[in-house]
Formats: sequence, C-alpha cells, structure tokens
Amino acid sequence: MSKLKLSAVSKSYGATAALRRGDLSVEAGEVHVLIGSNGSGKSTLCKIAAGSVRPDAGTVTIDAATVTISGPRDARALGIGAFYQELSLAAHRSVEENICLPDLPIKSGLFVDRMALSARAAKYIALFDGVTGEGFSAEAIVGDLRADQRQLVEIMKTLATEAPILIFDEPTSALDRSQVNRFFEILTRLKAEGRAMIFISHRMDEIFTIGDRVTVIRDGETVGTWKIAETSQAAVIGHMIGEPERPAGPQAVAEPAKAQTDAGDALLSVRGLSGPGYSDIGFEVRKGEVVGFGGLHGQGQSRVLRAIFGDHPVVSGEIVLNGRALSARNPHEAISRGLAYVSGDRARDGIFKGRPIIENLTPIHYLVRKVVLARPAALRAAATPAVEALHTKFESFGHPIDSLSGGNQQKVVIARWLIDRPDVLLLDDPTKGIDLSAKADLYALIGRLAAEGLGIVLYSSDDAELLANAHRILVFNGGRVTRALEGADRTQFNLYQAAYEAA
Amino acid sequence: MTAATSSLGGFRRTMERFPFLPALLILVALLALNGFYQPRSVSFVGITGLLKTYLALMMLAIAQTYVVYAGDIDLSVGAIVSLVNCTIVVVMQQLGGDTLSVLSAIGIGLLVGLACGLINGVAVAAFRLQAVVATFATSIFFTGVALYVLPVAGLPAPAAFWRTYGGRFFEVPFVFFAIAALGILLFALVRTKLAMQLLAVGDDAQRAFQSGLPVTAIRIKGYALTGLFAALAAFCVTGDTASGDPLVGGKMTLYSVAAVVLGGTALSGGSGTVIGSVFGALIIGLINSLVYFVGTPSEWQNFVQGLAILVALMAGILVRRGIRS
Repeated sequence: MSKLKLSAVSKSYGATAALRRGDLSVEAGEVHVLIGSNGSGKSTLCKIAAGSVRPDAGTVTIDAATVTISGPRDARALGIGAFYQELSLAAHRSVEENICLPDLPIKSGLFVDRMALSARAAKYIALFDGVTGEGFSAEAIVGDLRADQRQLVEIMKTLATEAPILIFDEPTSALDRSQVNRFFEILTRLKAEGRAMIFISHRMDEIFTIGDRVTVIRDGETVGTWKIAETSQAAVIGHMIGEPERPAGPQAVAEPAKAQTDAGDALLSVRGLSGPGYSDIGFEVRKGEVVGFGGLHGQGQSRVLRAIFGDHPVVSGEIVLNGRALSARNPHEAISRGLAYVSGDRARDGIFKGRPIIENLTPIHYLVRKVVLARPAALRAAATPAVEALHTKFESFGHPIDSLSGGNQQKVVIARWLIDRPDVLLLDDPTKGIDLSAKADLYALIGRLAAEGLGIVLYSSDDAELLANAHRILVFNGGRVTRALEGADRTQFNLYQAAYEAA
Repeated sequence: MTAATSSLGGFRRTMERFPFLPALLILVALLALNGFYQPRSVSFVGITGLLKTYLALMMLAIAQTYVVYAGDIDLSVGAIVSLVNCTIVVVMQQLGGDTLSVLSAIGIGLLVGLACGLINGVAVAAFRLQAVVATFATSIFFTGVALYVLPVAGLPAPAAFWRTYGGRFFEVPFVFFAIAALGILLFALVRTKLAMQLLAVGDDAQRAFQSGLPVTAIRIKGYALTGLFAALAAFCVTGDTASGDPLVGGKMTLYSVAAVVLGGTALSGGSGTVIGSVFGALIIGLINSLVYFVGTPSEWQNFVQGLAILVALMAGILVRRGIRS
C-alpha cells in the first residue's frame, strides 16, 4: 500500500498546461526521486501534494484514503512537510524563528515560548553541525545568510515538521559536497524510520546515491517509475528526453574545444584584487577563453564576480578591461564598458517578477543603446534572435516571466545580455536549479560565444560542468585562489583536492 | 575577512533587533534642542504636557505599526479615532456622565474600534482589495458614521472623563500611569505569536502561506489590533480635547504613517518595532513644539514643520549609515 499516491492529477494556468497527467506513488521508507526537465511539471506535482497548488482534476490518497488538500496548512495536518525550491523563509526573521515558524511553541495560550523555540530549533540545527559554514547561528538573520545556508534552514524547517511524508524540491542545488553528504545521512536515517520522501534533483550522481525508485515526468505526463538499482543514468536520461538510451550524462560532455586563444592581449585582467570576503585575486581572460572558478560554495567566487561588476566593494587591486582600467562603482558603469553578469539566484538578481517576458529581455538593450522610446515590434525583433539561440520555450512576449519554468527564466535572463553583445560574460553559477536539457543548451551557447571571441568567466558549483566547459580553472578556498588547473591538471581529483584542503 | 563580515553581520543584527535606535538618537537631540530654546519644556510639567498631547498620536502610531508589520497599511485609523471619539462622548452624555457611564463608554469604544478594524481586515485580506484604496474608502465611510452619530463638533465630554485624563493620582499625573500600562501591554504584545506571524506575513505573504500560516486570518487580526489601538487613541483625544468632534482624527492618519517610518519600521513589511513608532510620534510632537519655541512666525509654521520632518527622516538614514561605518 502506498503512503502517498497521486493519480492522474492535472493543473492548467490559463491556456498553459503545467501538468497534464501526473501519477506518483510513494511508499513508506523510501526516497522516491522525481526527475524531468524544467517545465515538465515536477514542481507542480510536488506543490499539489504540498497543498500550495490545487489540482484541476485527479485524486490524492494517503494510506489509501482519498483526501482533499485545500492548502499548506491542510497538508501539514495530513502529515506532509515540504521543502520549496524557491524557499519559504522570512528574510528578516532569525534561523531558529524560521525553523519553528509553521508551528510556533506557545505558552499561556498567547505568547511565543522562546525557550521551547530555541530548544526545538537547536535540535535540527545540530543535525548539520560542522557543515553550516561561517556566520551561521540560531540567532542569525536569514537574509544575511548565503544561499547554501538559507537552503539548509529550509531543510531544517522541513525536517522540523516531523511529517511522515516529506517533499524535497531541489534541496541540494546550492549545497556543497559536505553539506549534501550530511543531508543524505539524515535522509538515510529518516528512511529507516519509515518516512516517505520525494526528492527532486538535477544531479544524476545524487539521484543514484540516495534514491530507491525514480519516477520520470516529461511534458506534464508521468512516463514511468523504475527501481534505481535496475536502471542506469543513460536510461533515465533517455526517458526524460523521450529518446531511447543515448550516452549523454553531464560527465560525458566533450572537453571544450580549445578555441584559438590568440595569445594576444587579455580582454579582462585582474591583479591583486582584494575586498570583503576575497583577497589577492589575479587572473586574465583572453578572447575566446572560458576561465572557470571552482571550489566549495561561498569561497569568494561570487564576490569576485560581483566586485568586477561593481556590485561588491573593492579595497585594493586593479581591473583592466580592453586595455583600460575599470573601477566600476556600480553595475551601470560596468555594463556600459561591455561587461555582463548572470547570477544563479534568478529570483533575487535576475528576473523582474510578475512582469512580461519582453520587459525581462530588454532592460540591458535600453541601457546600452540609451533607448528612450521604443516600438514594441522593434523590441520583439531585437529580442527574438537572442531567445531563439537559447531554445527558450514561451507562449508569447507578453506572458509574465513567472509563467516560465526555472530553466526558461534563466534563459531569458541570459538572452537579455545577448541582444547587444558584451565583451566579457561573468557567469555566477548560472545553471543552479535548472534541468539537464536547459544546461546543455546553455553550455552549447557558452561554447559558441567563446568561439565568437567573447571572454567568459564561469563559476559553477557543479564540478563536472566546470571541467567540461572551462579551459582553465581557478580553485577558490577561503577567499583566495589556491590552485590554478590547466591542461592535464584539469581533473576531478585535483579539483576536489584543491577545494577540500585547508586554506 | 572574518572580522569584516562578522562586524557587518553584528551591525545588521543590532539594527534588525533595534531598528528604532536612530529614532531614539533623533528624539534625544530634539529634546536637547527643545530644552535649549525653552528650558521649561523639558521640566516635569513640560514633559507631562507633551505626553498628554501626543499620547493619542503614540497610540495611533502603534495602531498603524501592526498592519505595516504585515505589509499592509490602514488609512482609516484617523476616521476610527473620530468615530470612537463621537461614539463615547454621545454614550457618556446619554448615560448621564457618571463613572459607570465612562466605563461603559470605554467598553463600547473598544468594540467600535474592533468592529472598524475587522471591516478593514475583511475588505483587505478576505476580499483582497488594495489596502491603500480599501482603507481610504472605509475612512470615508467611518467618517460618515461619525457625522451621523454626532453631526456637529463641540459636544462636551463629561468632567469625570477628562478630569481623570488630565488629573493626578498620588501626585503622579495620570498620563504616566497610562504610559506605564501601555509599556506593559507592548512588552506583552511583542512576545505574542501574532506579532511574529504578522512580521512573517509582511516578509513574504506567499512564503508564509507555503509555511502553513493562516495568512488571511493573520492579516485580519492585524487590522483588528489596529482598530483596538485606534480606539485607545480616541480615548486620549477625548481626554485631551474634552469634547466630541466627527473630524478630529482625519489629519492624524498620515502623521501615524510618518511616525511608523520615522521609528524605523519598513513600510514594505517584515521588520520593525512598536517602540520605534512611539519614538516617531514623539519626534513629530517635539518638532511641532520646537517650531513654536524657536519663534517661527505663524504663517511659516507648516513650512518649517514639514521641512523638519523631512530632515528627521534623512537624519534617521544618516544615523543608520553612521552606525555602520
């Protein structure tokens, strides 16, 4: 008997069918992986189970009894706890307050029992003892934390529900290896306790490490469910993309073609750059070169990219772009000098929430070309090649950006920079939380742009992506570059070793 | 790196816990200025007078804070003050003006405030109307009811009411007891589940919903609390003016919003303190008296008051930056 079973559930938003026919059956004591490309309906399926989306049709049963989940509160009462991909944290509240927020401990019927709150939160914080990173504490304000730390808080909050059914919608997208390992230890323990868990991830290695069964969903329909032990990565990818097996896991991406880096002048050169959170950074990016930033999360990679872009303080050092010194006080100056920056945190740094796709595509165009008045038709014409280059799927330019899946949103954000070509593209973990086919599109584009002579700096939290796409990898550790990997040194082993050794 | 980030985090944490610090500094500076231009204004009698006059605005600023916590706003608080003011004055007059009538009027006044708050809450949270427009509309509606209850200003409140408000007990003015009681009330309210839930809703309503919070009910409760505090403000107004006036509260509404912002509470919701709003109300009061004490010609008083509030807002931001560096 299944613990949780969703049968033929569907959900449409206007004309767009987010989920056409979702079937999912989760047993007690298993980690059930849900996989599919972005926009395939996984998140919608999870949100239906979590109560934050109401299905148009279909049935949900828990312990073989049909239930109606009318909201997240209802879901909690039915024993379902959910980790939301976009997180459900209050930025101004502390870590411990967020962990206990759904069910605040009360005394005298009216007041928050701070002691009980701290004690309960401490229990879940302790689970991640040692991997939470610098600046993390029970009293820390969530808005001050790094993305990976916020993700850990959301995990703690989900665990604190102590619900028999737990849904994790991409809980590991920002976590580093040690954090993921700890999380998997916890999941293994919960499995032994007989909890039923749904787990979404785009990292194949994770899926095959922790999963018991996998359900593949494609274009809003469940394709099937297989035992992990009886399938292979290639088979799963085949089901996802709807083609028979083809050997195209992320590990199998070909080495990046060494574009003819005409050993000429550097497009971007950085010397002795220091500031809050990073120090003494130096590197050069030549035309057609992809320089990779590697290492564990939050070792200063993001900060350096932001500092170059004028969005993070620089204390000392120099940046030279196209032979001229650059000291951008704000992103506006950096953009007008030909820099582009794409953040992996699209919700915070990328999209204009609730606004049409065309408005999300054109702000840089307005800025670079100093457009004052524009005809909609001309804007659409300018934007079309950029979105097409990325195979972006969308209904029309007028639809709000939120109607797109995460991967397609990110494609729009990247396309925004391609209408007027920059000289150097700074990519700050751009594939965080987007699916394999969108990643493939993105990296194909990066390769093309490099071949056309752009300089690219790529920070990725996915080592395999980094190895497959960067010509040279600078490994960050404690805010410094501890190792530069080139040529034959560019191996997984060296990358791990440099990332994990004490700074 | 470690030192830089942790001191920055420490600062943010301090500001997050005590966002009213800049307001407190401005308040002290204004008190000093008042004392400089008019030494008697910072005497016991002077402070008593200031509190007596501005207790109503303090209450109203507190009222406004609870909806602002949740990212909402209430532009009808002033109209609620007017309605409660008229209602209790009429009730006390009808019942004869003795102690019992005062107590029943207070009870009825609180119920009226609560009812107004619930109407606002249902309109904004349950019917999902825009808070600014919906409460603007209800403010006109409440004023209409106030004009029906008391068509002309000037009906005097019974002596038992205003003598108590302006009087002394054991040689201590009544307003100090009121402030002490208010302090205890706020101390308790800060610790309630509702306060934290309002802040969580203000942070991001969708996320609060996904966390399983009853968002609509929480927002309605916020408006109800606002209505109750607006009724308390009306009692202070009645004690201070000793009469009923169907338009008395109207101009106080935006002052309450200004006080909330001066106190360091974010209008976007999610962070703030009620004590900051109390300081904000006092800042406005001290600015008004300072403008008078420095001898501004009467035709220039509004001009200078407005300018001074702008300066105070700016000073708040500068103080915040100053603490950071």
